[in-house]
Amino acid sequence: MVDLSQYLPILLFLFVALALSAAFVFLPMGVSRLTGTHNPDAEKLSEYECGFPAFEEPRSQFDVRFYLVAILFIIFDLEAAFLFPWAVSLDITGWAGWITMMVFLFELIVGFAYAWKVGALEWE
Amino acid sequence: MSYASSFYFTLPEVILSLSGLALLMVAAFAGKASARIVTILSVAALFGAGIFTAHLLSDPAFALGGDAFSGVYRMDAFGSYAKILIYLATIGILMVTQRYFDSTGEYRPEYPVLMIFGAVGMGMMVSAVDLMTLYLGLELSSLSSYVLASYARSDGRSAEAGLKYFVLGALASGILLYGMSLVYGFTGATDYLSILAAMSDGLSGGMLFGLVFVLAGLAFKISAVPFHMWTPDVYEGAPTPVTAFFATAPKVAAIALLMRVALDPFGAQVDAWRQIVIFSALASIVVGALGAIGQANLKRLLAYSSINNVGFILIGLAAGTQAGAGAMLVYLAFYVAMTLGSFVAVLMLRDGEGRQVETLADIAGLSRSHKGLALCLAVMMFSLAGIPPLMGFWGKFVVFRAAVDADLILLAAVGIAASVIGAFYYLKIVKVMYFDEPAGVVAGKGDAASWVVLALTTLFVSPLGFLLTIWLGNWTNRAAAALFFAA
Repeated sequence: MVDLSQYLPILLFLFVALALSAAFVFLPMGVSRLTGTHNPDAEKLSEYECGFPAFEEPRSQFDVRFYLVAILFIIFDLEAAFLFPWAVSLDITGWAGWITMMVFLFELIVGFAYAWKVGALEWE
Repeated sequence: MSYASSFYFTLPEVILSLSGLALLMVAAFAGKASARIVTILSVAALFGAGIFTAHLLSDPAFALGGDAFSGVYRMDAFGSYAKILIYLATIGILMVTQRYFDSTGEYRPEYPVLMIFGAVGMGMMVSAVDLMTLYLGLELSSLSSYVLASYARSDGRSAEAGLKYFVLGALASGILLYGMSLVYGFTGATDYLSILAAMSDGLSGGMLFGLVFVLAGLAFKISAVPFHMWTPDVYEGAPTPVTAFFATAPKVAAIALLMRVALDPFGAQVDAWRQIVIFSALASIVVGALGAIGQANLKRLLAYSSINNVGFILIGLAAGTQAGAGAMLVYLAFYVAMTLGSFVAVLMLRDGEGRQVETLADIAGLSRSHKGLALCLAVMMFSLAGIPPLMGFWGKFVVFRAAVDADLILLAAVGIAASVIGAFYYLKIVKVMYFDEPAGVVAGKGDAASWVVLALTTLFVSPLGFLLTIWLGNWTNRAAAALFFAA
């Protein structure tokens, strides 16, 4: 059987994090009710600026362009995330690592050129 | 290991990747008008990769195969054989696709590019000797498949098929990854040889769980019962050429992948997975045979037929021997030809206005108006049913013989009994085409490219195919031996 005792600190950490985060959420709510500052009105409960309504018809249409931007963001965000471990370990991986990353970047650039050319980056 | 030999062994994938990237640029800058030239260039790229793979397969200098990139990829006769099947199936489908989209005008150059990237992923799947390479290849081919399934964007059924395939495919990938992480956790390695070595000392509970989860994930990919429920819906909803693609190339890749995983890293524990494979094989045969009986849609019917065929192929795996692996490879070659031929024949069924027809009622009396088409489809159906002079019988025969040689006589007997049930609906199609009153729905002639593919596949499964069995037997023997070389 795997020895789980060495994971005890992580378990304790999770409990502490749970307790603290619960306190941060519920303590202000309780305090505001006790001190009388709990006074909701329509303006306070509405979405703030660019936020979406939290509760609405589930079948309402959601602009598909958001998905496209999100997917493109994930791809290029991951590319950036890959670059960090590559950069700090370049002295170990050497030229092979450098060339491999250049090939990877080249492939992404081809994808980027495709996305640009077909108009995936244009909002209108 | 040197980089030169690594790149030489992976050259089929390198050729296809570079062509795919270049053609993607052509697609982006030349737009929709380039669809035809991109298709032709894609076929040329696949053909080139296939020729090079055949060179690797036939050159005596590479008879033992070789590892590439520090043992994450292995070039051997097994991988090369599977790759040639995959490339041929993809070429066949690219040849018949454009005609299908003519009526809707949705054919775009991205379609062949997606097929090429799918073929790269499948090539990596069949050559992977490391769980990481396996997963990368599987995801590359799956992602292309999800997009292809929903390719007819304006068609609601196609979009539904794509979404269903994506959600269930992601679930299966999760199951597979979970199993792989268990295997890695309990054996401490991701490469097949180390896993084999670790499992040779005995199977711990964690390893068994990992093995079961990996097999479950792969069973989904080959649509074996009990992970088959997505198949009829996706096959019916996806555009017909894409369905033909799903039933051939990715299935060959997934079955080859399953063979390598079961016989190489898990090869020391055959008894642990044999009962799972036997259950899955029998259940697939029975569900595929019974499920197809009530179907009125030809694509749904062929989906159940492919579940049924996967069951027969798994019988060869249950044997767990080199003869069993060789029999599976023989069956796969005929399966690809029969499935491709049947789907191309279905593709050629159009009514007077050029729309696709795909129900059983529409082909009633087809032999009266379209003699050649009805004959080809009848040959395919007889072959799928396993009627002796045709090559479908030969495929079933070698698989059952391998099972009997491995003392799985009961399995073979039940399989043969169930194949009789399956023969019912294959023969029903022939009866509807030849003896029913003509429905007069199908009109027009097929295009030349479809006829070429249909004629070649029909000739391959016809008794003339026996002329090729010497080469086929030679190749499958070498491919199966390559699988057992590492073990």
